[in-house]
Amino acid sequence: MERIYSTQYYTFFQSDKERCFYIDLGQKVVRLSFCQLLALRQKVWSINIENHFDDDFNPHGLEILSLCNKEHLFVLNTLEVLDLKELLTGSLFLLDIAAQTPSLTA
Amino acid sequence: MKDIARQQMSIKVESMDMLNAQIQMEGKASASYLAMASWCDQRGYNGSADFMYAQAAEEREHMMKIFKFVNDCGGNAQSPEIENINHDFSSLEEVYETALSQEIDVTKSINRIVASAKKNSDFGVENFLQWFITEQLEEEKTMRDILDLFELMGRDGIALKLIDERISAE
Repeated sequence: MERIYSTQYYTFFQSDKERCFYIDLGQKVVRLSFCQLLALRQKVWSINIENHFDDDFNPHGLEILSLCNKEHLFVLNTLEVLDLKELLTGSLFLLDIAAQTPSLTA
Repeated sequence: MKDIARQQMSIKVESMDMLNAQIQMEGKASASYLAMASWCDQRGYNGSADFMYAQAAEEREHMMKIFKFVNDCGGNAQSPEIENINHDFSSLEEVYETALSQEIDVTKSINRIVASAKKNSDFGVENFLQWFITEQLEEEKTMRDILDLFELMGRDGIALKLIDERISAE
């Protein structure tokens, strides 16, 4: 398993042998197929971080994230969300599959 | 290190994002035509209503074509969330003007994806979208021809009835 990118809280790995990815999210390590990685990317990109700073929309600044067909459930605070966004940005860039933020969320 | 992404998906991620946005746009166009069909139906413009129902179905077909393509290529097609559909029109002519500007927006969006696919050497996407380029030319022409009828025949009660019947015959 090869480490691709690390941020303050998380680390992203690729496994050539299993043809999949792993993310160490601190509480546990999550295994993701490529299509599950795409789904995670879509979810994380669509998180509106501005709402975390607005008491009306998100008073507690928390985000509930379910991964891999609801196999895993994470509750992230604002800093963790920002860190996860950074992890994906860096990892996808290094894997040469970076693209602009999906226009779907615009 | 294996290029797992390339092994799993035959199009570029950037193209996938743009195609997902296009799915959203086609879905919205379909819903918008449905709103136009409803407006025409309620006011007795039966020809135009039939035409708009058919357009709504056609846009949905376009959406599904792109949706299937994204998934067939190993991508992650997103079912669109449709909101803010306009149901208010002041005249039959405005309905068709709105339809034309909607088609122009779709054409521009398709062109943007083709340009991006060319830039990224994503030739599969470019090839797939060729059909849409031709289709959009036809769609724009259809709407323009209908709008020409208003210039030719006028905008009074009887003229509107004749235009509506003519659209029905097409």
